Amino acid sequence: MKRWHIRDIILVTIIAIFMGVIFWAIGPVYTILAAALAPFGLQPLANELLLGIWVMAGPLAGFVIRIPGAATLGELLGAVVEMFLGGIWGASTLISGVLQGFGSELGFIFTGYKRYGWFTLAMSTLTTTIVTFAWDLIRNGYAAYHLPFLLLLFCVRLLSVFVFGGVLTKLINNLLVRAHVLKD
Amino acid sequence: MNPSLKLALITLIALEVSFVQVWTVNVVLIVVSLLLMLINRVPWRRLLLLTIVPLFFASALVWSLMLRGDASTHFLIVIFTRMFVYVYMGGWFTLTTKPLWLTRSLEQNAKLPSKFAYGFLAAFNLMPKIQAEVSTVRAAALMRGEVLHVWSPRLYFKVILAAMNWSDQLAAAMTSHGFVEGAPRTHSLTVPLVARDWWLFGGSLVLAQVGLFIGLP
Repeated sequence: MKRWHIRDIILVTIIAIFMGVIFWAIGPVYTILAAALAPFGLQPLANELLLGIWVMAGPLAGFVIRIPGAATLGELLGAVVEMFLGGIWGASTLISGVLQGFGSELGFIFTGYKRYGWFTLAMSTLTTTIVTFAWDLIRNGYAAYHLPFLLLLFCVRLLSVFVFGGVLTKLINNLLVRAHVLKD
Repeated sequence: MNPSLKLALITLIALEVSFVQVWTVNVVLIVVSLLLMLINRVPWRRLLLLTIVPLFFASALVWSLMLRGDASTHFLIVIFTRMFVYVYMGGWFTLTTKPLWLTRSLEQNAKLPSKFAYGFLAAFNLMPKIQAEVSTVRAAALMRGEVLHVWSPRLYFKVILAAMNWSDQLAAAMTSHGFVEGAPRTHSLTVPLVARDWWLFGGSLVLAQVGLFIGLP
């Protein structure tokens, strides 16, 4: 198993900062979407639709730096960047960061850090969605929602995580493989 | 207060209030964090932002829970105040802690391996370069009539290639300047960790436990 060296640490941090910049850039989109949906009591849906972008640092770091812990560290550092850049959610950002990262890390753990293809991404999508959703059941009181609405939220989140953390990550990975910087 | 202990304190309390539903403790935490921010002379505009944004999100969430769920009034108050606890405690932490000082403290007090501490610092100093790189990549694509969005793989691809280059160069530069992973280091600036820090940390945690578990509403 590969170990962490200074180069990998710098790389994962740069990727996290880059993702932090992206998180920061979509902040206004999130606020507008949330404001548009809020009157109908659908504000959480804005969160679900965009969640995939927020959890992308995990699978991306996991794919580029194939060392155990890369996904968790990437997502956690992304959260740290977001927090210090002026994100307002404070400590809960860090907790979410660890959970989102660990969620996608689980996908890599289940495949033993050996396979880097669709199967791992699908696993990672599923575990990320389940872990983060369980956290929102507690943190944001999702547990109090009626079941049909809860299922809708879950499906939208699964789809969003799959599109950004799965499909987009895979496409980026394909480009990197074609450029011979990553092995298939 | 020592930055590492401060971080541990706000994370532990944030984690705890996420599970326990006591709104009175939430209100106390909000007031204490607000006072701490005022004592530390946090700018009014920042404070206003820290109030308006969560006010919108907390209200929208409560409204949504009322329309689409069957939460009790007590639960709604808990959720509403909880959002402010996160934001105010986080605000107190980020606005009174310098990232550099925190990293030093994590290395010296929390025994984070120095390769992580200095790796993070090296990359964080590239922040302006990373932002510039994103705009360069976008501008270069625009010149060929190609618009890169948040969902364009090419944007990520190019930035990751740049990131790989920089991390190679930075790591080589650090090694050539004598940085050895895992070697014992001396520190030009030491972050103090004194008994008072431990008392503040322990005392705040005990107080929070008392508040959360003596049966307050």
